[in-house]
Amino acid sequence: MKVNFNLNGRYVSYDITPGEYLADTLRSHSVLSVKKACDEAACGACTVLLDGRPILSCSFLSARVEGRNVTTVEALQDEVDEISDFFADEGADQCGFCNTGLALTILALRKELNNPTDEDIKHFVAGNLCRCSGYQSQFKAIKKYLEAHK
Amino acid sequence: MEANRYLRPATLEEAHQILLQDPKNVLLGGGLWLKKSTSFANALVDLGALGLDTIKDLGDVVEVGAMVSLRDFELSPLLKNIQGGILIEAVSQIMGVAFRNSATIGGSVAGRFPFSDIITPLLALETKLVFYPHKEMTLNDFLSFKGRLSDILTHIVIKKSQGPSFFKKVKTTALDFAVVNVAIANIDGKYRIAIGSRPSVASLASKSMEVVNNAKNLSNELINKAAELASEELLYASTGAASAEYRKALAKAYVKRGLEEVSK
Repeated sequence: MKVNFNLNGRYVSYDITPGEYLADTLRSHSVLSVKKACDEAACGACTVLLDGRPILSCSFLSARVEGRNVTTVEALQDEVDEISDFFADEGADQCGFCNTGLALTILALRKELNNPTDEDIKHFVAGNLCRCSGYQSQFKAIKKYLEAHK
Repeated sequence: MEANRYLRPATLEEAHQILLQDPKNVLLGGGLWLKKSTSFANALVDLGALGLDTIKDLGDVVEVGAMVSLRDFELSPLLKNIQGGILIEAVSQIMGVAFRNSATIGGSVAGRFPFSDIITPLLALETKLVFYPHKEMTLNDFLSFKGRLSDILTHIVIKKSQGPSFFKKVKTTALDFAVVNVAIANIDGKYRIAIGSRPSVASLASKSMEVVNNAKNLSNELINKAAELASEELLYASTGAASAEYRKALAKAYVKRGLEEVSK
């Protein structure tokens, strides 16, 4: 079957199987910022934006994005570069595997919440696991990034 | 997962016909647990085109469409104040935002997932389920029903009850499944106590409820008795996450704390 959707600002039409998941579809078309780690909707590494909201592409059927807008880090280079700078300043980067998913969640957080509290930030990014950083440095980087955009 | 077809019916009637055609035709909610629960489907039936994604104020009740995402449920101003906000407190503890943007309330309820953190507080409230073509039942009856329903869950109807409530999810890490979860609501002076993830699906602690609802005042002694009963009347089992004894002890402790809190 075919699925037609807007991927990073461009309309695409891909052949998929009925039970195929979005992370597999995207990665098979060289959208390699989308990571697969747990593959069971638990870690957030596969996060992409669907109509501007973060979803877990490893467990989201590709057929369900018909007619919708999917955004990955490939389309948000400038925004993600900026977040990366804040992460680097706080020493929040180690292996970097979780960064693409986390960056998209941070962009969604910035769009969705006005003046978030510390608890709001922690709650919003709780689904993006990192096995290197211990989270404190990431949290500081996110706070500084959001403050810079007030 | 393996599937022969992906269908997106335009009407509930069409969806129902597809469901009746083959027991291996599977209705989709958010589809997040599909990998774990189903290895093969003849047809995956997407209910996304049926207008089941709205939350409506119907006076005394709020009607939630089965395809409303857990995140939209969490953010709904209509649900925020029901019974002290117990539903929002519970749903916001389910995984992360990206998960809740994908998962649906209908999928969460229809799946009767034993680990569910939203079924337990819904059970503590007086929640009714509406199915297509023409079935209505309480959530409690649905959870007790054995076998496969050939109807489609379309709406969840939640009474706009007010009053104190208590919800506790015991977990080992932030995003983990509950070792046990407890929800208590005091609705018009009557207590409802639900305990889930024991690890079986949530149940009402009926004997415990009878004790507290027949009393004029909740003394410490009575609360202790009700907590003891709640831990004895339901089945608790051991898994890799926790032993049956630990789950029982947790249920007893949190029913006690919950009753103390909601009876203040």
